[in-house]
Amino acid sequence: MAILVTLKSPIAAIGREVLDFTQHLGSLFLFFMWGFVLIFQPPFQFDKFRQQVYFIGMKSVFVICLTGAFTGMVLGLQGYYALVRYGSTAALGSAVALSLVREMGPVLTAIMIIARAGSSMTAEIGIMRISEQIDALRTMDINPMRFLVSPRIAAALICFPLLTALFDVVGLYGGYLSGSALLGLNPAFYFARAQSSVEMSDIIGGFIKSIAFAVVVVTVCCFQGYYTHTRAEFGAKGVSISTTSAVVISCVLVLVTDYVLTTFLL
Amino acid sequence: MKQSSVELGVGVFVLLGIICVGYLTLRLGEIEVLGDKYYQLNARFKSVSGLKVGAQVEIAGVQVGQVESIALDPKDQVAMVRLKVKAVIVLGDDVIASVKTAGLLGDKYILLSPGGSGKLLKPGDMIIETEPALDIEALISKYAFGKVNE
Amino acid sequence: MTRSPLIQLKDVVKTLGANRVLNGVNLSICRGEITAIIGKSGSGKSVLLKHVIGLYEPDGGAILFDGRLRAAMTPAERRALKNKFSYVFQDTALFDFLNVFENVALPLKERNALSLAEVSRRVRDKLHQLDLHDVEDKYPAQLSGGMKKRVALARALVTDPEIVLFDEPTTGLDPIRKNAVHSMILDYQRRFGFTGVVVSHEIPDIFFISQRVAMLDEGRIVFEGGPDEIQEAAAPEVKNFIQGLESPRDDLTGIASHSIGQNRLLQEMSRLQRYRIPFSIVLLAMDNLEDVDRIAGHVVAQTVFKAFANHVTQNTYITDTCFRFDINKILVVLPDTNEEQARDFCRKLSRTMQSHALFGSIEPVKGFCYSVSAGVAQANKDSGPDELIAAAGQRVAVFYECRN
Repeated sequence: MAILVTLKSPIAAIGREVLDFTQHLGSLFLFFMWGFVLIFQPPFQFDKFRQQVYFIGMKSVFVICLTGAFTGMVLGLQGYYALVRYGSTAALGSAVALSLVREMGPVLTAIMIIARAGSSMTAEIGIMRISEQIDALRTMDINPMRFLVSPRIAAALICFPLLTALFDVVGLYGGYLSGSALLGLNPAFYFARAQSSVEMSDIIGGFIKSIAFAVVVVTVCCFQGYYTHTRAEFGAKGVSISTTSAVVISCVLVLVTDYVLTTFLL
Repeated sequence: MKQSSVELGVGVFVLLGIICVGYLTLRLGEIEVLGDKYYQLNARFKSVSGLKVGAQVEIAGVQVGQVESIALDPKDQVAMVRLKVKAVIVLGDDVIASVKTAGLLGDKYILLSPGGSGKLLKPGDMIIETEPALDIEALISKYAFGKVNE
Repeated sequence: MTRSPLIQLKDVVKTLGANRVLNGVNLSICRGEITAIIGKSGSGKSVLLKHVIGLYEPDGGAILFDGRLRAAMTPAERRALKNKFSYVFQDTALFDFLNVFENVALPLKERNALSLAEVSRRVRDKLHQLDLHDVEDKYPAQLSGGMKKRVALARALVTDPEIVLFDEPTTGLDPIRKNAVHSMILDYQRRFGFTGVVVSHEIPDIFFISQRVAMLDEGRIVFEGGPDEIQEAAAPEVKNFIQGLESPRDDLTGIASHSIGQNRLLQEMSRLQRYRIPFSIVLLAMDNLEDVDRIAGHVVAQTVFKAFANHVTQNTYITDTCFRFDINKILVVLPDTNEEQARDFCRKLSRTMQSHALFGSIEPVKGFCYSVSAGVAQANKDSGPDELIAAAGQRVAVFYECRN
């Protein structure tokens, strides 16, 4: 009897975990769909949308430029020393451009936006939840999903690809800076190889990734904030834990999604 | 005041983003917006190993077009490559198309070597003379294992 | 009884987590009345209020509006119903990212199809009435607690709701602001005629403004009745609760509380009956406190009332008892005093009030007249305290006017 219990309970625990995970995934998906559909419910919330584009997009420009430049520079540096062994430093342009456009651009942009905007999204919505502001919206017959989540989803869907493009371009010039300006590679080679190796399908793939990351990040971050009150911890503690888990979960999911999408896009 | 600064910021951001997207798609992705006029030619190769759609088509090192599609001819088991060549380029029917590599490990491209024939190729025509891709690995192994004169 | 219940809760049951918070609540809320819900912390008062507005759905039981079951309403009807409600949250729940004006405008903007000009006119009106027009560009984080409460109230009232629910509107406020909020609720209730439900800890202050009191304990309503009845309620949990919370002194004025005063009145009554020691009462009322409210704001009105109460206490002897009788009334019990001596007391009070600036700290409003009236009655051993107070209430004369 005792053996049966010890045998049963870990399996049951695994089963419970799997069920919990599946349920969580389902509720995340429904949360996103619900928020997404409400974007199109008139009257459109241009003001809030604009505010969020400003917050997610404009305020991230500097940090994206910075990280993009240094990512490109380090790619140029590493790529140069790796390629110089084979005497094919001319391929630096394509190495930098392809790794930026396909992988580094979308992924690092997403992770930077998580750090900059995603965490504060969770904290802001979480605080609204614990200070009853979301309940207040409901008493005013304002749909909090539409009011809070939809503009963020719409803005993220716009901002992620644009910031990714910015990251790519800045990174490309960063690679040029370290490869050509510092290490003396012919700039014409660099850009010619970058141009000839990157194809439209790579760029489209990069944008598909960045849009997928936008969905993942904004859903996880808004969800964590929106359901802060269902945590065991209350108040400020709950918000801080929500924020932490939003950042961790969305970073992990971005990398997982990246792998899955790469297998499809290659 | 505050509202208008937000608007300005959003405007700057969107403009910047669109410029970057434009740069990526037009310069790197090489989408022709206004575009030159092209016509198509087909060529059959024994092997196009390493050639990709979008690869350059050159004459004497000058880019004159792109590889539009690569497919297998199911009947003869050879590669069917469709090229698009700028309309201003006229080619005789004895042109030779060969798959070349830029450098030892570089990208593959197609080199057209025009002949002297007076008969011109029309759009959709087939280039008869082709040279397949050089199999560098096979070449190297031949040198390495001394079976060159086989 | 001609009371018509607007909202009825029948056997409402709610379990949150492992706690059964509501365990069969029966409550009727009547049109045009203010119903106070009192009870210990954590007894489910807020949860009850959230059921009324529909933030929570009951696990069992029914909630009826105008005799109609909410669960049976169509979504459109529910929305229409929700639009009749406003809810004032305990922690104000103002939106941090909107300024005062936008906060108050939000329910109008999102709810009604009003033009922007109309919205801003109504919002400005409401802000002006609540004395908030100076802060309309500020953000909630820049405001004091009392101001935030007023903004929350403005936001709740801007839609002209039929039913306003207040979740502990006065927690964390000082006595003057606390009373200001109470008088604000009463004032607005009289002016706009909404039905109010107030969850509160403020005993006995809350009794001044409510027509109906319900006490929630362990998930059930253990008492429902008028504010006078609860003082005499027999059930031990009600009695303990009321006495435990009621401080012997009135928060605002520092004079004795209502129940102490009532007890004193009864003692004097029995002394009169046993030893034939006469006593008189003086019922002092600030007649136009409501006008002060309207013109100068509720905080000023409460400060005035506090100053007035100070004058009264300074003129009483140690044996006299004065206590807060109503939101704008003070009852003075003068033992061993006949009616003529009581009139002397009034005259003396009037003189000190004339000579001292009554409202020293407050800038007088030009052309405004503060008036205080007094009703004097000598006790008569055949009649009870209620009749005595009624007699004093009838013989009222204005004895002080301060014209600026």
